[in-house]
Amino acid sequence: MSKAVIVGILIILVITISLAIYSSNPKEIRVRVTTTTSLYATGLLEYLADEFRKEHSNTFFDFIPVGSGEALRRAENGDACMVFVHAPSLEKWYIEKGVINSRKIFAYNYFIIVGPIEDPADIRDSKSVINAFKKIYEAGEEGKAKFVSRGDYSGTHIKELSVWSQADLDPHGRPWYLETGSGMANTLLVANEEKAYALSDVGTYLKLKKEGKLSDLEILYSNDTELINIYSVYIVSLCTGAEKQAAQEFAEFVINGGQELIANYGTEEYGQRLFNPARDNIDWLEEVWEKLSKT
Amino acid sequence: MFNDILDITLRSLWISGSATIISSLWSILLAYKLSRSSGASRYVIPLFEALIGIPTVLIGLLLYMILSSRGPLGVFRLLYTPYAIILGQAILVTPLITSLCYRVFSNSWNTFGELAYTLGASEKQVMTIVLRESIPGVIAASVMGFSRAIGELGIALMVGGNIRGFTRVLTTAIALEVSKGEFETAVVLGVVLIVLVVAVSFSLRILKRMYRT
Repeated sequence: MSKAVIVGILIILVITISLAIYSSNPKEIRVRVTTTTSLYATGLLEYLADEFRKEHSNTFFDFIPVGSGEALRRAENGDACMVFVHAPSLEKWYIEKGVINSRKIFAYNYFIIVGPIEDPADIRDSKSVINAFKKIYEAGEEGKAKFVSRGDYSGTHIKELSVWSQADLDPHGRPWYLETGSGMANTLLVANEEKAYALSDVGTYLKLKKEGKLSDLEILYSNDTELINIYSVYIVSLCTGAEKQAAQEFAEFVINGGQELIANYGTEEYGQRLFNPARDNIDWLEEVWEKLSKT
Repeated sequence: MFNDILDITLRSLWISGSATIISSLWSILLAYKLSRSSGASRYVIPLFEALIGIPTVLIGLLLYMILSSRGPLGVFRLLYTPYAIILGQAILVTPLITSLCYRVFSNSWNTFGELAYTLGASEKQVMTIVLRESIPGVIAASVMGFSRAIGELGIALMVGGNIRGFTRVLTTAIALEVSKGEFETAVVLGVVLIVLVVAVSFSLRILKRMYRT
């Protein structure tokens, strides 16, 4: 019996592999790009890739949307040539290991605190984000407010945790602190239902708001340097050959010709920028990135 | 939008269809051999029955580590291709199809095989009868395998990478739409998936009836 089974498996393996080789056209260059789901979901990367491909029609980009940690881990295994991420401290760790190099900051935006229109914790005029979080904590303890957290160790969640620790507060286990353990969209919908506060990225919030799904939520606090969200692109050290060259060209495009496209991306749809181009503020951003990477 | 959904649906269909057919080839063979040897089946079948519910993300992770550029089969560059998903899903449904087919063959032997022997049929005639009587059950097992394959998420996400126009299938598209907050699109894709599985099941049932008459 075992002979027949082994022969069968071998035949199938040979067929699969030959099909794979046959289907890969040698003239086209495929660049494997890992990225975080939240960035991919805005559609910016595919938009930039489409614009880039107008001049480089034989280059194809395979975007693989996963979590920040997974994106970098796959790069370490040599299963990506390019990485688009926004988690400075994690990036630093992989730069030091030699996994990724040639960092280029290409965009930034701000995390926002959203909450019920009535603003029971009165954070609208807070002096700083830490001050706002303190007010939410107090209102929570008094039973006047709730806070919804991602609870999934995503970039946004890590940001939220660092603000709590800077404020010297630990909301875990408090009855008003809800952890959804799911994505940003789902977390915002929960916040809307519960009339609760939440930390969010701009893109996801504006998108859902425009679709009318967040009728009870508003942006209550934003534009604090503490809440900055910096997006960088890297080349993976293990990547070689034509794929690497194409990746480098695309990275150059993103920080040069692509900057204008980034600035205008989504403005027509949402009446507000989703991303700010990095070029004009690059020195300041480098400085902030260094600071963030140490936390 | 419509074109995207059609594209994703067709891809799901051929990937999971191929996986089911490939897996059926070895599973049916294995199940038949096991049904003739009471020794090995005593251990293999309970093991396979236990493995039916194995988490797909675990198979996906193990297969990723094997197919990764640093893995033992990295040279074949199968990672992030539809073939990697086919391979993973074929492995995934093997315990299910094998244990279901084993039951079918065992029943056929008990009901028809022994009767045929006592009536003086030759070895070859007995085998033909048993196999013929087993066909409806084997088809049913394959349909269940297909349903499990097309409905799984972990393998397609880990080794396929959810690349648009290349390895994006129904389940990975649903997961992506949910994370985008596009719950409506996700539900539409989910309905497509269910309709597809039900349609395949019913059309094979009709074929089975035609075969019977």
